[in-house]
Amino acid sequence: MAVAIKQPGLARGALGFIVGSAFGFGLVVALRAISGLEIFQTEQTGYPHLVVPAITGPLGFLVGLGAFDYWFRWAAGRPTIPEDHSQHGAKSWRDYFKFNTDHKVIGIQYIVTTFFFFLVGGLIAMLIRAELAQPGTQIVDPGVYNGLFSTHAAIMIFVFVIPVFAGIANYVLPLMIGAPDMAFPRLNALSFWMLPIAGILFLSSFLVPGGAFDAGWTGYAPLSTGAPLGQSFFNLGVQFAGASSVATALNFLVTIVTMRAPGMTFWRMPLLVWANLSTSLLVVAATPFIAGVQFMVLFDRVLHTNFFQAAFGGDVLSYQHIFWFYSHPAVYIMMLPGFGIISEVISTHARKPIFGYRLMALALIGIVVLSYTVWAHHMFVSGMFAWLRVPMMITTLLIAVPTGIKIFSWLATLFNSVLHLRSTAMLFALGFVTTFTIGGISGVMLGMVPIDIHVSDTYFIVAHIHFVLFGGSVFTIFAGIYHWFPKMTGRMYDEKLGRVHFYLTLVGMLGTFIPMHWVGMEGMPRRVADYAAQFGDWNLMISISSFLLGIAQLVFLYNMIVSWKWGPRATANPWRAKTIEWQVSSPPPIFNFDEIPRVVGGPYEFGVPGARHAIMGGEEAEVRKPEPAVVGAAGGGGGGSPGERGGP
Amino acid sequence: MESASVAVGQAEPHEHHGPPEAHQSSRIDRQTLGILLFIVTEAMLFGAFFASYFFLRVVSNEGPWPPEGFELPVAVAGVNTAILISSSFTVHWALEATRKGNRRGMQMGLMTTWLLGSTFLFIQINEYIHIGFSGRDGAFGSIFYGLTGLHGAHVLVGLLLLSFANIRAWRGHFGPKAKDHLGVEVPGIYWHFVDVMWIIVFTVVYIL
Ligand code: HEM
Ligand SMILES: [Cu+2]
Repeated sequence: MAVAIKQPGLARGALGFIVGSAFGFGLVVALRAISGLEIFQTEQTGYPHLVVPAITGPLGFLVGLGAFDYWFRWAAGRPTIPEDHSQHGAKSWRDYFKFNTDHKVIGIQYIVTTFFFFLVGGLIAMLIRAELAQPGTQIVDPGVYNGLFSTHAAIMIFVFVIPVFAGIANYVLPLMIGAPDMAFPRLNALSFWMLPIAGILFLSSFLVPGGAFDAGWTGYAPLSTGAPLGQSFFNLGVQFAGASSVATALNFLVTIVTMRAPGMTFWRMPLLVWANLSTSLLVVAATPFIAGVQFMVLFDRVLHTNFFQAAFGGDVLSYQHIFWFYSHPAVYIMMLPGFGIISEVISTHARKPIFGYRLMALALIGIVVLSYTVWAHHMFVSGMFAWLRVPMMITTLLIAVPTGIKIFSWLATLFNSVLHLRSTAMLFALGFVTTFTIGGISGVMLGMVPIDIHVSDTYFIVAHIHFVLFGGSVFTIFAGIYHWFPKMTGRMYDEKLGRVHFYLTLVGMLGTFIPMHWVGMEGMPRRVADYAAQFGDWNLMISISSFLLGIAQLVFLYNMIVSWKWGPRATANPWRAKTIEWQVSSPPPIFNFDEIPRVVGGPYEFGVPGARHAIMGGEEAEVRKPEPAVVGAAGGGGGGSPGERGGP
Repeated sequence: MESASVAVGQAEPHEHHGPPEAHQSSRIDRQTLGILLFIVTEAMLFGAFFASYFFLRVVSNEGPWPPEGFELPVAVAGVNTAILISSSFTVHWALEATRKGNRRGMQMGLMTTWLLGSTFLFIQINEYIHIGFSGRDGAFGSIFYGLTGLHGAHVLVGLLLLSFANIRAWRGHFGPKAKDHLGVEVPGIYWHFVDVMWIIVFTVVYIL
C-alpha cells in the first residue's frame, strides 16, 4: 500500500480523492464559519458541504492518478521528463487501470467503461419495464420510479452513447489517417478519466439524502432548481462528461487537421473520419451551452441566485432554450459517428465503393449547420414565442434532407452487391438502416407542429427516441464493435453467436418500441409510473420484449469476453478492407507504424482495377512490379494490386 | 516516479525507440489550432450566459434595466477596461520581443501584462465589495455576477497561464524560433481572447 501511494495510480488517486474531498469540505465549513452562516446548510437544495467536495474530490483523484504530473512540471518551469513512452501501450490488463497516453489503450478503456455503464443503464431499464408490466404500482413507488428513468437516460446518453463513439474513434481514427497517436495524448487520457467520474456521480446520487435526481435527463427548471440534493450530482456529472467530450472533440479536430498522412487530402478521408470531424465541430460549439445552463441551475440551487426563479425576475423558459440549443445538436453528436461507422461497414462488407462519397461528406456538414437551427421543436407546447414555431418546423423538416441523402446513398451502395448475411457487422448495419429510417420518419412527424402537440410527452416520443437511439446509435455501435473487434483484440469473435445476438436484439427492439407508437398516439403519458388500465396488454408485451432485448445483450457479453480471451487469432485484414487501420497487424504495433504510410487514392475503391488507398512504409519496391490486377467483388479487392491509378 | 519510468524505458532497449514523426498536414501547428478551438468553446460558454442575459433583460423583464435600485459604477469599470486593453498590447510586445530574441523585452512584457491583469482583477473584486448588491438580489444581480464572474474566472486562468510563461521566461526557456516561443504565443492568444470578451461583456452589461 505504502509503495502504491508513492507512484501515480489508482491508489494515489484514491488518496487524492480523500484529500480533495476533505479540502472541499473544510473550505465550505471555514468560509461559512467566517461569514457567520449556519455551518451545515441542509435545506433540500443546498448541502454545499457535500456539493463542493463532489467537485474537489474528483479533481483530487485526477491529480493523484497522475493526470497533471506533466503539466505541473511544465508550469513550474522544471525540466519535463523526456518522453520515455512508459505511459504508452499496455502489457497486461493492469495497464488499463493506469493513466495511459496510448490512443489504442484509451480507446479500449473508453469502450469497456462505457459498456459497463450500458449494462448498468440497461439493468435500470429492466426495472422500469418490470414496474410498467402491469398498471398500478408493484415494484417501486412513484418517487423512486422518477429517479430510475432519469438516471437511466442520463447514463445512457452522457456516459454510454456519446463517449463510446469517442472510444471507437480513439482507437481507429489515428490509424485510419496514418497518425502515430492523437494530437494531445495527455489531454486524451485526461478526457477518458473524467468519464468514470461522471458516471459514478450519476450513480452515487442514489445514496444521498432525497434519492437520485428525478427531473429527467432534461432537468428542466424550476423542477430541477427545487429538487433534492441528487440533482446537484446530475449537474456535476454533466459537467465532467461535457468537459471530457469537449476535450476529446478538440483533440480529434486537431488530429484530423494537422496529422493526416501525406497524400490524404480531405476528399480521401474515410467517412468515419469525416463523421468524427463533423461530430467534433458540434461538440466544441454546442456542449458549452449545456455546461453553462447546468452551472446556472447549480448556482440557483446552491448559491440561491435567480436565473430561473420567476418570482425574482428569472426566466423559466430560458432553461429550455439554452438546454435544447445544446441537446438538439447532441442528438446528432449521438448519431453522426454512427453514420461514419455504417459507411465503413457497408462499403467493406458489401465490397462496393460508397455511392456519392462527396455528397455523403457534405451531407454531414449540412447536418452540422442545420442542427443549430431546430432546437425549439422540442418546445412547441412550452408556451414559447408562438412565431418561432413555424420556422422551427420548416428547419426540422429540412434536416431530413441531408439525412435522407445518407440513407439513399447507403441503399445505392448496397444495390447490386453480394450481401453477406453471415457477417454480424453487416447485419447490424442493415438493421440500422431499417430502424433508423423508421425513427427518422417519426421524427419528421414530430417536427410538424399539430402532430407534435397531440403526442407531446407521450410514449410516442419514447418510441421515436428509442428508434433513433437504440435502432440508430446502438446498432451502429454494435456494428462498429463487431467490425473492429479483430483489429482491437487480435482475435475473431464467434459469428454464429453474433447472429444470434443480432436477431434477438432486432426482435426484442421492434417488439419493445413499435407498440409504444400506438399507446403513445392513444395518449399514454411518458415519465409516469402508472397508466390507465386500457394500455395494460400492450405494456405487458412491451415488457416481455424488453426482457428479451436484455437477455440478448448477455449473448453479446459472453461472445465478447470469451472471444477476447480464447477466440482464434485474427489476421491483419480479415474483411479485406482498404483503409489504413487494416494494413497493420491485429492488434496494431505499439507505435502504429514504423513509417508513416503514403495515401494514393480514395478509401473505398473496391472493384476498381489496380486502385490502392495507401502504400505502407517499406512497401515501395513491391509496388513498382507490374502484376496483373486481380479484382472483383469476391476477389482480391483488398489485396496489394499495383496499377495505373495508384501513383501519387 | 522518475526512476520507475526510466527503468521501464531501459527494460527494452531493443524495441523501437518511439513513434515515427507524424506528418504535418496543415500549415497551422497543433498548439495554436488547439487554443483557437478552445477559444471557440469558451466563446460559446459565454454565449450561454449571454443567451440568459437576453432572456432576463428582453423577454421577461418589465420596466427599466437595470431595475430600480441597481446602479453600476460605469466610470470605474471603464478605467478597468482601459487597463485590460493595454495589457493586450504588452503581451503582444512580449511576443514580438521573443521573436526578435530580445530576452529583456520578453520578460518585461510578460511581467507588465501579468501586473496589469492582476490590477484588473483586484479592481473588479473591489467593485464587487462596494457595489451594494449580491447575486441573490433579483435576476439582475444573478446575471451581473454570472457574466462578470465568468469573465473574472477567465482572467484568473489567463493569469495562471501567464504566470507559467513568466516563470519559464525568467528561466530562459523561450527562443526566437517558432517552435520555441509557442509558450508565449499560446497564452498570448488566450489573453487577447479574454480582453476581447471583456469588451463585449463591458459593452453589454455596463453600457447598453
Ligand atoms: C430526421 C431526423 C429527426 C427529426 C426530424 C427529429 C425530430 C424530433 C422532434 C420534433 C422531437 C420533439 C418531440 C417532443 O418532445 O415533442 C424529437 C425528440 C427527440 N429526438 Fe428526434 N428527430 C430526428 C432524429 C433524431 C436522432 C438522430 C436522435 C438521436 C440519435 C433523436 C433523438 C431525440 C430525442 C432523445 C428526443 C426526445 C427528447 C426528450 O427527452 O424530450 N432524434 N425529435
Ligand atoms: Cu431535436
